Amino acid sequence: MAIVTPGKRPGARIAASKVFGKKFGRGKKTPYAALMLTSLVDVMTIITIFLLMNFSANGEVLYMTKDIKLPDAFHGAQLERAPVISVSADAVTFDGKMVLSTADLEKGDVLNVPELEDALRDEKRRYEQIHSQDPDHPFKGLVNVQADRKIPFKVIKRVMFACNQSGFGNINFAALAKAPEVKVAAQ
Amino acid sequence: MAGAAPTPTGHGGKKALDAELNLVPFIDLLSCCISFLLITAVWTQIAGLQVASSGGPPEAPQKQENTIDVKLLLSEKGYSLSMAGALVEIPKINGKDGVPMYDRKALDEKLKTLKTSLPDQTAITVQPEDAVAYSDLVETVDAAMGQNLKNVTVAPMN
Repeated sequence: MAIVTPGKRPGARIAASKVFGKKFGRGKKTPYAALMLTSLVDVMTIITIFLLMNFSANGEVLYMTKDIKLPDAFHGAQLERAPVISVSADAVTFDGKMVLSTADLEKGDVLNVPELEDALRDEKRRYEQIHSQDPDHPFKGLVNVQADRKIPFKVIKRVMFACNQSGFGNINFAALAKAPEVKVAAQ
Repeated sequence: MAGAAPTPTGHGGKKALDAELNLVPFIDLLSCCISFLLITAVWTQIAGLQVASSGGPPEAPQKQENTIDVKLLLSEKGYSLSMAGALVEIPKINGKDGVPMYDRKALDEKLKTLKTSLPDQTAITVQPEDAVAYSDLVETVDAAMGQNLKNVTVAPMN
């Protein structure tokens, strides 16, 4: 017995028929599967629009670390790019470099912090040298202070004092921006 | 791949009326945009509360006739708002888990009353005790700024 491929085998007359013959014809299937690209493009467009709306041209202004949990603020302004003093439970850092430990600031009653003041003065000197020929960008004495929410004011006070002594009079307290609560009138 | 040029009909017959858009370059562009935006995205929104420090450089006096010296003291007991000789105490309240916390709502109301009676008032001095936490200080400054008291000075209590 002859070996044939499985499937329906019409008779010779039906296979030759122009009408019925097509039904049993074994046309070659294309090896390429057509993807539905429209839905994919839709999803990508929505993602792009969402990301564009949330895009921030300022970038990272602060050094976000796990040690520092910022408090919330509802009426804060956008943070400008400026030198950053970070105060965590362990250390005080200036622009990412450790200056001294927080425990040192909690001790004693004196206000001055020579290490931090020196770092701030260096920063001020550097800024003034860079912008010496640029009258459009005068030194504004702006500094960003980011501290953990549990840091006592005694430490913040000394940091602020150091800023003042070094000519950084405009202090920005960093906080997580929250939208103001919407008050719904009672019916 | 799908989305290529119009399907050839062959035999030089009629051209198909439906033209397909070439989506491949469009998908390439979107992929690049998404990658770039995801890499450069900043997910945390940081706000800044600008304050002046009492020991800072002297600024030009902006004292107006319709303003008074307003001092807000933060102590272990709560807020003490002193203005024009009057002292208003706002004690701490029991918050979640029974932990005492500053009465932010009461402070908002007092500051609102102050702002209503003195619309030109923009200055306030916040004086926290040494033990006051940074979060309480920021919330207090935030409350003042919320009532349009934009010139906030932070000074030590003594």
